[in-house]
Amino acid sequence: MIEITDLTKRYGNKTAVDGLSFNVHPGRVTGFLGPNGAGKSTTMRAILGLDRPHAGSVTVNGRAYVGLPRPMREVGALLDARAVHPRRTARNHLLCIAQTNGIPAKRVDEVLQVVGLESVARKRAGGFSLGMGQRLGIAVALLGDPKVLLFDEPVNGLDPEGIKWIRELMRGLAAEGRTVLVSSHLMSEMAQTADHLIVIGKGKLIADIGISEFIRQGSNVLVRADDQERLAAKLTEAGGTVLPGADGALIVTGLEARQVGKAALDAEVVLTELTPQRSLEQAYMDLTRDSIEFQASAA
Amino acid sequence: MSVAFADTVRSEWTKFRTIPSNIPTMLTAVALMVFPGALTANGASENYQAASEATRAVFDPTYISMYGGFLFAQITVGALGVLVVTHEYATGLIRTSTTVVPRRGRLLGAKVATFALIALLMGWVSSFGSFFLGQAVLGSGGAPTASLGEPGVLRAVVGMGLLWALVGLSGVALGSLLRATMSATTVLVAVNFIIPIIGPRLLPDGVGAWVQTYWPIQAGLQITTTVQNAERMLPWPGFGVMAAFTAVLLIAAFALFRSRDA
Repeated sequence: MIEITDLTKRYGNKTAVDGLSFNVHPGRVTGFLGPNGAGKSTTMRAILGLDRPHAGSVTVNGRAYVGLPRPMREVGALLDARAVHPRRTARNHLLCIAQTNGIPAKRVDEVLQVVGLESVARKRAGGFSLGMGQRLGIAVALLGDPKVLLFDEPVNGLDPEGIKWIRELMRGLAAEGRTVLVSSHLMSEMAQTADHLIVIGKGKLIADIGISEFIRQGSNVLVRADDQERLAAKLTEAGGTVLPGADGALIVTGLEARQVGKAALDAEVVLTELTPQRSLEQAYMDLTRDSIEFQASAA
Repeated sequence: MSVAFADTVRSEWTKFRTIPSNIPTMLTAVALMVFPGALTANGASENYQAASEATRAVFDPTYISMYGGFLFAQITVGALGVLVVTHEYATGLIRTSTTVVPRRGRLLGAKVATFALIALLMGWVSSFGSFFLGQAVLGSGGAPTASLGEPGVLRAVVGMGLLWALVGLSGVALGSLLRATMSATTVLVAVNFIIPIIGPRLLPDGVGAWVQTYWPIQAGLQITTTVQNAERMLPWPGFGVMAAFTAVLLIAAFALFRSRDA
């Protein structure tokens, strides 16, 4: 369990995180979403005591991270997988980190196996591919067998196989009852991994929502009928929002496909098409549109 | 020593020995001390033959056997001290280190303790090595030699090792303050080599004399002499100046390391 209360962090005049509050619960993968520059990394660094907040508090299992006597046994973090001395071997990299928390060398060999790097354990980390480096970073997070795990953009630059592996690993960790917080700026990635979403923009909380709820809110239905006007009126009456789509179709939001079908029956129109659409990416964009810092303008 | 601190020291030792170049570099520093030291001793024994009575009276075989090599070795030791800290900033590993050891004082303290011990042990290997080799060279050249039993000699040879540790720690402190290898090494070389060694030749006489007497490394080197120059500091007070200088750098390094974001 991670509890963040009124967290504020400024760099110079720039406010990176602005009065942010949310909790991350165990037993599920919580996706931490926001456009680049939204304050995700700053929040993660504040959880780990790397940055000192100007206001607010962050606790992990009820305690400040900096006060934990053996922090790796409670919290594991992947921040920057490339933060490895290129001439140190993978095993030695893990060993010197493990020793700080009194973790035995035996555990180093175990995690090397878990992440599938045992065959290159004695190779220099500088020669690793992006994917291998990411696995090494995850091995660091797993060393202390912690109950809370933080992954900052873990799938960046990975091939599909690596992405699938990380996704299954995170879901497995959550299924074991651990707290898993994973940041991303890609909605599509989160849709396949997370059970819950925390969405931030410009350092503020935008949404704290279950993934199924988010999908329901983000979905729309495309319909065509012989009498579009009559159907549109009925749909609006039923609580939907109707927008014109391509080729004269209607795009309905706020109603599920079943409710759209019911409205058509009530309006006594003949449907020629009814297609539920799930555009999570669009829903996410709608949510964060106002909080994107660097936006390309139409020429 | 608490268990947590001992664990962090163990980790720092692993960090040091698992960068493949560190131990060879350390051994190079030892070689740089011992062999140029022998060359200096050889030159000194030749000069001794031609020297006046007054020069012969202040001939210091202990100091001569160690000083020449130290000039070279101290740059390597100091630079290694810098790298112990700055390689973590260069690779980004510092964020991992401060995450797994959130007590910043403990982390830097373990770095300081580990490198002090490494530099001290290697310093003693070097100081005793260059002392014995230097005495052999001086003796075969017909110049006077010293033995460890004579007054002040053991203090000088042991003190040289202590000076190694202080130079190494000034490197660690500068590395932590400046967080970049190039700038920290430049400052280190300026402070411990260019200003004290080349400075007096370029500066006005009065300033040059002051630098030769009170500049930290010059004052500290008095501990390696067995013939007291009346214009210079006494051995232990001189060493105290270098120790105090190193302590000030370290205190600043700890204060900044604690307060800065990693």
